[in-house]
Amino acid sequence: MNTTVDETLRSRVRNLDAMPAMPAILAPLLRCLDLPPDQIEVEKVTELISCDKSIAAQCLRMANSALFSRYTHIETVRGAVVALGARRLRDILWTSFLIRMAPKNQWPLNPTAFWEHSFGCALVSQQLARKVLMPDPEKVYLCGLLHDIGELVNATLIPDDFRKTVEFAVSKNISLFEAELEIMGFTHCETGKLLGEYWNLSPDVQKTIEFHHMPGQSPAPAALPALVHLSDLLCRLRGMGYGYDELLEVDFHTDPAWALLEQSVPQLDRFDVARFTLELDADAEEIRHVVAAAFQT
Amino acid sequence: MASPPTIVNQNAEKESGPVDPVLVRIRDVIYKVCGIYLPDNKFYFLKDRCARRLEALKTDSLQVYFDALTAGPDREAEVRSLLNEMTVGETCFFRSPPQLHALRKIMLPKIMAAKAKLSFTRLKIWSAGCSTGEEPYTLAMIMLEDSAAYLQGWKWEIIATDLNDRSIAKAKEGIYDSYAVRNTEPYFREKYFRAQGQKFALAPEVKERVTFSRLNLSDESKILFMRGNDVIFCANVLIYFDGASKRRTVRHFYNNLLPGGYLYLGQSESLYGVSDEFHLVHFPGATAYLRPSLETPGGAGR
Repeated sequence: MNTTVDETLRSRVRNLDAMPAMPAILAPLLRCLDLPPDQIEVEKVTELISCDKSIAAQCLRMANSALFSRYTHIETVRGAVVALGARRLRDILWTSFLIRMAPKNQWPLNPTAFWEHSFGCALVSQQLARKVLMPDPEKVYLCGLLHDIGELVNATLIPDDFRKTVEFAVSKNISLFEAELEIMGFTHCETGKLLGEYWNLSPDVQKTIEFHHMPGQSPAPAALPALVHLSDLLCRLRGMGYGYDELLEVDFHTDPAWALLEQSVPQLDRFDVARFTLELDADAEEIRHVVAAAFQT
Repeated sequence: MASPPTIVNQNAEKESGPVDPVLVRIRDVIYKVCGIYLPDNKFYFLKDRCARRLEALKTDSLQVYFDALTAGPDREAEVRSLLNEMTVGETCFFRSPPQLHALRKIMLPKIMAAKAKLSFTRLKIWSAGCSTGEEPYTLAMIMLEDSAAYLQGWKWEIIATDLNDRSIAKAKEGIYDSYAVRNTEPYFREKYFRAQGQKFALAPEVKERVTFSRLNLSDESKILFMRGNDVIFCANVLIYFDGASKRRTVRHFYNNLLPGGYLYLGQSESLYGVSDEFHLVHFPGATAYLRPSLETPGGAGR
């Protein structure tokens, strides 16, 4: 981003502290879960999660979903902690936290759409990473979950511009990204990057937030922004978009992100995109259930 | 083709609990042999259809059935029998709304923009394996609707072929029961159908827009004459073909499309491993196969 745009942007989005803060328990919880597996204290993690009834309820609901676990009868927080393991628990905690941040009032789109899309993109990114045998597929969940976090910044801090952007995107059947460039001159990639810095997210997540629409401009390696770019498209194509009619035609093999991902995943040319797309329809159904249930609380 | 079927989306209760791994293997065999893929939320449907075959074969073991399907002396016939159970011999109007939406909003406008540059103002769509005519007549209705809008000034024709003479005769007759119009919005029902007792008779202006003829897709001498299409629809027909015939027919479809034209298959079908020439493209809720033109990124012959 050039300096002038950066300064203008920072001045417009200057109240980042007006964004919802992370719940008090999240940082100590993540610290506990980041310890080597043999040092993680199940009792302490259970106790911390139990402190926040809303997070505890969300964790239990997701722990019982087929999307996260093979078990369907987990009834206690302790049971969830043991059954899921640190990595999945961390994913679920982040997801629960973000669902609580839902901008229920100032969101000019279907309020669940943002979460279906973010949660969907997290899961699709992770599944795609596993299917194409990408190294360390676990870390892509958070990249997918947070890739559009800039939309939350826009909805919260510049609601009038955000509303105009959405109306323009809906009327022209184009992506929010294109509409933002047209209406505001900057996009959720840039505002998301500011929040990513403010929240001190990992460099991988920050890079994905900033470059998921233009992975070709990302510093190498660009595999994560490229993979999330493809997953983002797949979600928007298979009923997990922003809830309006976006006229998209995508040829994954000729998308520049495909070639970028191929640099890290040479076996990508043998990947069956058609089958993966059809598989997603089952996940989309489950994602809608989980998000709908999460919004009822 | 003989009664192109629809994959039935039964609203049967989903069963909870882990899926039988043999069922997963049957799903994968069906995909490998026929190119039709049922996602995890359709296992209940596959299980139900396998149960019918188990009953016919007088066994109660899914493993025994899997062996019959993959290693038995009649395995090809058994695959066909299972496909028959998975499909029904009838279709309906407006069967796949996402495909039709992409056709109207994305495909045709794009094809027309490219053709207009060359001063061409004609479009041709082929419904291959049209059965009793619901698919091509649906196309005729939506194109009649658009003829005063973006299709203004353009000529268009819809060719429909099937192997089965009786299907073609019924298609030409244009009289349907209420089951065939179950997905048809009241607007289209009122505008393009006339009540005939308990039946629905298509309006002449729709019937006259479709040209029907008998064609065997395996007849290479005849299929060569089906050139110059912008879009080909061929839903749930190729699943019955063996690998070599499928590759041959898909090659013909490719040659019979103009560059920049599209092939639509059934919603659960895939050409993975069948064609290197077509580009798989995604639209909202639908996929199609594109014959690339010079303007297509990545071009022809990927």
